[in-house]
Amino acid sequence: MTALAVRGLSHTYADGRAALRGLTFDVQAGESVGLVGPNGAGKTTLFLRLAGVLAGPAGQVAVAGLDPAIPAERKQLPRQVGIVFQNPDDQLFSPTLFDDVAFGPLNFGLPPSEVRARVSEALAAVGLKGFEERSPHRLSGGEKRRAALATVLAMRPGVLLFDEPTMFLDPRGRRELATTIRGLPGTKLIATHDLDFVLDVCSRVIVIDGELLDDGDAKMILADDALLTPHGLEVPYRLKSRETS
Amino acid sequence: MSRWDPRWKLAAILLACGATACLRTPAAAAAALGIALLLAAISRIPPRRIAARLALIAVSLAPFIAVLPFIEGTTLALVIGLRALAIGMLALVLLATPIERVLVASQSLGLPGPLVQIALLAQRYAHTFADEFHRLRIAWRVRGFQPAADAATARTLAHGIGALLVRSHDRGTQVSHAMRARGFDGTFRTLAPCRTTVADVLGSVAVMAMFVALVVGEQR
Repeated sequence: MTALAVRGLSHTYADGRAALRGLTFDVQAGESVGLVGPNGAGKTTLFLRLAGVLAGPAGQVAVAGLDPAIPAERKQLPRQVGIVFQNPDDQLFSPTLFDDVAFGPLNFGLPPSEVRARVSEALAAVGLKGFEERSPHRLSGGEKRRAALATVLAMRPGVLLFDEPTMFLDPRGRRELATTIRGLPGTKLIATHDLDFVLDVCSRVIVIDGELLDDGDAKMILADDALLTPHGLEVPYRLKSRETS
Repeated sequence: MSRWDPRWKLAAILLACGATACLRTPAAAAAALGIALLLAAISRIPPRRIAARLALIAVSLAPFIAVLPFIEGTTLALVIGLRALAIGMLALVLLATPIERVLVASQSLGLPGPLVQIALLAQRYAHTFADEFHRLRIAWRVRGFQPAADAATARTLAHGIGALLVRSHDRGTQVSHAMRARGFDGTFRTLAPCRTTVADVLGSVAVMAMFVALVVGEQR
């Protein structure tokens, strides 16, 4: 079953900057896919289009069969797709962590008992049970990242989009996040420069730089120096050492 | 008192502030300050915090209080000083309840929703803004910037403030994206609805009655 279908997706900002040009790919339900590209490659733009936050023409994107360009279908999208943003401070905007995690379920109009159950479940899933009354700005970098993930998990989306999830994390936080993401059900699309992280979490990689450059097996693509270097990326150390030995 | 339904508490404190502002005699203004101090004690606000607030108001008012007796007379200066101290103390009593609960209560009392959302977000991001300003100051310092009363300092400060405003705008855009991605449609929903008990109503009415009595008593 296709979770994400992207067909000839192009996006140009109001200032005339073309961020995406003719992107086409599918992601099957349950897949974990790394989205790789240099700064300005259009990864965040792609995510915002998939979530219906940025408007675009109909027929270019379908998430769980819903087209974000159709208002009635866009309204249902937050139940199907969740974004974990690059900077958790952008995602944690409520006075307490409980309020932040409850924000999405409350917007769905769920009854209070269901909202409380979802908050509890989401915080437990990221190891932040007992942090309900903490103020988000007082959390550490790793805790903020996991809290941001909890805000999305509480909405139980079938598709999870992670935008630079390892940014600001120390090695332990990065390791914990990889374990958490691997344990999550559903379809995952992970945009990052951290190619070692992609190797840990994803079996498939899509390389973009405004347009689609390659799409396939993670180990094959991430070992391709001729593909990665011209686009500001590097073969991960782990794959390099395999080549040299 | 900090556990009172914030709507009743807000209504009582607003009325108390309004009544205090109407007082014209030193005795009534002193009584208002006395009641406000009593409310602060009931709210279990630490005495050191009460003293600090009183000192802050007194220092802020000092220039006016020093000049006012020569222009309007000693009595008016005393009344204005006592009223300001009483209102400052009432604000402290109000803020013994978490600010976000007070803001949500203010929406229940008719404050427009968008204003409440702006206040809630401003309260949350004030800390992030302060952190960014702190980093900016460090960046200035490590590059040898020494503030002075000259054009170069003014230019550097203006550039820094400009950079913070641009970053704030970017952050605002990102937060808006994050809210919309989680189904926000412009209506702020909360799971902590205000619940009223008989004690909340009786307490609030008692506070209102005391301040109204001060105003009415003064008229006689």
